[in-house]
Amino acid sequence: MLIAVFVISLLALAFGLLLGYSAIHFRVEGDPIADNIDALLPQTQCGQCGYPGCRPYAEAIAAEEAEINLCPPGGETTMIALADLLGRDPVPLDAESSTEKPKELAVIREAECIGCTLCIQACPVDCIIGAAKQMHTVIADQCTGCALCLPPCPVECIDMVPIKQHIGNWKWPLPAADAQLATGRMAEV
Amino acid sequence: MTVERISVEVVYARPDEQLVVALQVASDATLQSAIEQSGILQRFPEIDIETVKVGIFGKASPLDAALNPGDRVEIYRPLIADPKEARKKRAAEGKQMTKGGGKAPESGEDGETEAAAED
Repeated sequence: MLIAVFVISLLALAFGLLLGYSAIHFRVEGDPIADNIDALLPQTQCGQCGYPGCRPYAEAIAAEEAEINLCPPGGETTMIALADLLGRDPVPLDAESSTEKPKELAVIREAECIGCTLCIQACPVDCIIGAAKQMHTVIADQCTGCALCLPPCPVECIDMVPIKQHIGNWKWPLPAADAQLATGRMAEV
Repeated sequence: MTVERISVEVVYARPDEQLVVALQVASDATLQSAIEQSGILQRFPEIDIETVKVGIFGKASPLDAALNPGDRVEIYRPLIADPKEARKKRAAEGKQMTKGGGKAPESGEDGETEAAAED
């Protein structure tokens, strides 16, 4: 009887120490849920959800302050992936965000650019090269197509051009049923 | 002797082709040495290092300016449009200049009726 009590207390002590040790040494920095949500968002930093970028929106979703249907660039695929990750019910996209657009790219009409730098300040991903009274140019590879550079331009010389599909950027289309699985897997990586 | 090295990017952008070169330079490097080291001058022979305007993150800087880690050295191209002419043309068309994406300021002059018409 006494031995049993002794053994159980010893085990409890050992596991307690183990748990205490791992709580300190394997502590997860930051919020893993927000990280996973952030991984699903398109990283356009376009602010169309009403938050200043993808990360703030992810944190708002994690804190259950925001709905999961506010991301127009992500569209329905992102909304379903988020619902899947969080165990929430899928919500239809907002009326504003429901029209899914093809991927676009900002292109500056050089003959009209006056070098005012307003688009450079507006670009959330810093993909416009230029300075005051110098030609501004979009780095096509880095442009997320968020269109935030359009409203500030005083001469309206920026066009959104749909990205043409060519052999360099073609991807296998995701089958509808597997789309959720694949995005879920991406979040785990 | 070991020289401390810092990572910077050198960028040259044309509408048809943009080149971003990430490279390591000595910590006492200048814009000019970073541009020369990047090999962009060989890739785009139209760049004349003597006359071209360069800068860091959207701010024009002299060629002998020092670099900080993470800087993006940008090689600029001149404007095609003349900003003054563009402004005159806009004024002639009766458009108001907006700044920072906000609504055109109510000036109380003849532009006001047009600003109201836009709304």
